[in-house]
Amino acid sequence: MTGHEKLLEVEGLQITANVDGESRTLVSGINLTVDPGETIAIVGESGSGKSMTARALMGLLPDGVTVRGNVHYEGTQLLPGTRGRRLHKDFAMIFQDPFTMLNPLLPSGRHISETLRDEKGRRLRKPAARAVEIERLAEVGIQDPTVATRYPFELSGGMRQRVGIAATLASNPTLLIADEVTTALDVTTQAEILQLLKRVQRSRNVGMILITHDLSVAFSMADRVYVLYAGQLLEQSPSSRMLIEPLHPYTRGLLDSDPPLDHRAATLYSMPGSVPQASTVLHSCPFAARCAWAIEDCRTAATPLREIGGESGRSSACIRIEEIRGELGLVSEPSTADASGSEVGMSSSGAFLAVNNLRKEFSRGGRRVIALDSVSIEVAAGESVGIVGESGSGKTTLGRSIVGLETPTAGSIHINGVDATNYDALGHGQVAKLRTAVQMAFQDPYSTLSPARAVGPVLREALRLDNPQASNADVAELLKLVGLPASYARRKPAALSGGERQRVALARALARKPNLIVCDEIVSALDVSVQAQILNLLKRLRAELGIGYLFITHDLAVVRQITDRVYVLHRGRLVEHGPTGQVLDAPREEYTRSLVASVPQNTVTLL
Amino acid sequence: MTAVLTAPETFVKTKRGKRSVLVGMSLVIVTLVIFCALFQQFVTPYSAGTQDLNNTLAGPSLSHLLGTDDLGRDVFSRIIVGARSALIGPAIIAFGAMLIGTLLGLTAGYRGGWYQTLVMRWVDLMFAVPQLLIAIVVVGVLQGSYWEAVLVLIVLTAPADTRLLRGATVAQRNLPYVEALRVVGVPSRRILAGHVWPTLMPLTVAQTFLNFATSIVTLASLSFLGLGVAPGAADWGRMLAEGRDLVVVNPWAAIGPGLAIALTAASMNIVGDWLLERLSSRGRARA
Repeated sequence: MTGHEKLLEVEGLQITANVDGESRTLVSGINLTVDPGETIAIVGESGSGKSMTARALMGLLPDGVTVRGNVHYEGTQLLPGTRGRRLHKDFAMIFQDPFTMLNPLLPSGRHISETLRDEKGRRLRKPAARAVEIERLAEVGIQDPTVATRYPFELSGGMRQRVGIAATLASNPTLLIADEVTTALDVTTQAEILQLLKRVQRSRNVGMILITHDLSVAFSMADRVYVLYAGQLLEQSPSSRMLIEPLHPYTRGLLDSDPPLDHRAATLYSMPGSVPQASTVLHSCPFAARCAWAIEDCRTAATPLREIGGESGRSSACIRIEEIRGELGLVSEPSTADASGSEVGMSSSGAFLAVNNLRKEFSRGGRRVIALDSVSIEVAAGESVGIVGESGSGKTTLGRSIVGLETPTAGSIHINGVDATNYDALGHGQVAKLRTAVQMAFQDPYSTLSPARAVGPVLREALRLDNPQASNADVAELLKLVGLPASYARRKPAALSGGERQRVALARALARKPNLIVCDEIVSALDVSVQAQILNLLKRLRAELGIGYLFITHDLAVVRQITDRVYVLHRGRLVEHGPTGQVLDAPREEYTRSLVASVPQNTVTLL
Repeated sequence: MTAVLTAPETFVKTKRGKRSVLVGMSLVIVTLVIFCALFQQFVTPYSAGTQDLNNTLAGPSLSHLLGTDDLGRDVFSRIIVGARSALIGPAIIAFGAMLIGTLLGLTAGYRGGWYQTLVMRWVDLMFAVPQLLIAIVVVGVLQGSYWEAVLVLIVLTAPADTRLLRGATVAQRNLPYVEALRVVGVPSRRILAGHVWPTLMPLTVAQTFLNFATSIVTLASLSFLGLGVAPGAADWGRMLAEGRDLVVVNPWAAIGPGLAIALTAASMNIVGDWLLERLSSRGRARA
């Protein structure tokens, strides 16, 4: 193999979908290359077409979606070619969701040996298959041979992802496509899986395409990064250089909206608006509508990726990059910590919310699961407190108990002096009083609003609980409070983006004029740029209305931005608590330390 | 994207915005039958009871499109007149079952506890009895009229709606939007009527059409057996029973009403499927 031989070359890839009888472009003009042994990352927000691109390479496009363009693999032309099958048997894909990618009826080992054949093309016999399975599992770091005989439901998410990777590697691929492989995993597991992928990629010297929405994952893993936005490539660059100096306003914006872990920004940089549909921006710069530097030329002609003079190996789609390069470099001035608010602490006035020795048990199939074990927290009026933990830590159960969606097994909850331990035992008036004291916002923006009802009536209904005369003007005011135009009152949830739905959900909670809002992972399902918008909104609401938050999250960088104090939960127990900066900078407990260390940083080294 | 409601695998595959030929034909048939039921006196060439004893058992001709029966009555006119009793009963049954089923299903699914147990055991009980047999016994033994048959069938059909609605409600109950409304403090009654029911509406509509189609056949079966309708009435089931003996002389006296029953029931089914698909894709989030 000569040094210049490309493993994979994609030219002019275009993907169109047939919707309602008209064809709609999802992705256009994608050119990319992968060298042998190289890792590239395709970074993009939801709707950018990154998964479609990966699926096109695997021949996994759904019905009604067609692909055009040229794909060469080791010099052989694969596309245009037969549709409906894997482009090449050397390609393999690792999927996002470890909980659904394995067949629940097969022992995990079978997933690995299922596709293997001996020299004569026969299935492997049991002992031979078992030997191969154990060997392959060892490669992905599973030393326990009994795992091969266990079923997927007996394994943790991280273990399943490992089995999935082992199964993917079974066919000895030379090009690995990893589609958001770590998104569904906890931070500590995420770091392990990323390290594993890097190790496998190095030891087998295979090419890898990493699809992710997370810039820090891309930077820590990939040699080169492609930035995809609304179906078009905006920038391509070696990761080290992109991190230091991005050459497109969008990349700059993405880097700036990513909340920093090491300090608290006064306000997060947030791009206005949201990602447009690919088909509407085919003949202009897709980012023009949200770009501070956009000029008329950006909106009138397509902006293909082009080499940037004086820098080998970098290209950008920005037509003004030479002019604005200096300005782009300046933006990232980190607006460093304002520590204001963190002194609120526990004042003598006593806690607004006091949770004492809370215990919650669930019985699942005869087994008793302890979700919370003697957890005590306190939140003062107007204070913003974080609850941090991985999945299974009990953080969501804690939040749900506070608003009465769960009834604790033991312990007590007091809100504003009212005993809120068991909502069912309270009188109507007392519950109503608690509802105006504490509200909750939920994680999944797509199911947090009634699908059949328009925004306006839902908000008016909430307003009328306190004020039967509430009018459309009050609804408009509420929408304005969360940064939405009054015309949104007529829209149904299906016509709103994820970020807009979370704003409406917050507006509905605010309709009761609460003193505290329990926010359960409300930004974790949102894109980075939208996440920054919501975090800024929360900060503004706190400043304007004096609302406190109980902010439940797994994301340490987010908790840094929004909370004064933080509690760390691990398997239902309180591990550590204190001022947010102190806990994250100088964690006292081993568990907190490992949690902080697992967060991928915007650095190109490690792994 | 999480579609809260997913349409079941449908018999008629339609692309959104386009209707298949089958759906088009079904819509035409349903419209035609409804039109006949409403405006029969203006459409029929002869009145349903008019006997022409000089012209009995005639084959199809221009004056009698489907020929005449043994009393010289025009088969075609009688089919048009029969549309009324073929539609009114099933419509009332389907609507009544929907009301009862929605009320019981929504409340049982949302409240749970002993109330749910009670409702669902009643449903199980009703499923355990052979429906048509019960209808025959009740209507036959009590010498019941058409309306009594309808009433019995409402009670027999409601359990299916109840079970469907309860299952769907249980699935909605723990979704964040319902929990969010509870935390906001919206009363349960309003959550059910204002949020859960509109979400499940497509399902209800489809089930109602399905019940409609089934009831057409059930009611026709009863009248075929001579139950519910008076002898000599222009009712499809009755006509089918009476036309049975005339198959050799004028087969259209039996085939006509038989086809009318089969086509109307099948069309109702297809239209219901199509509606479910349309309605449930309406509230769906963008892909």
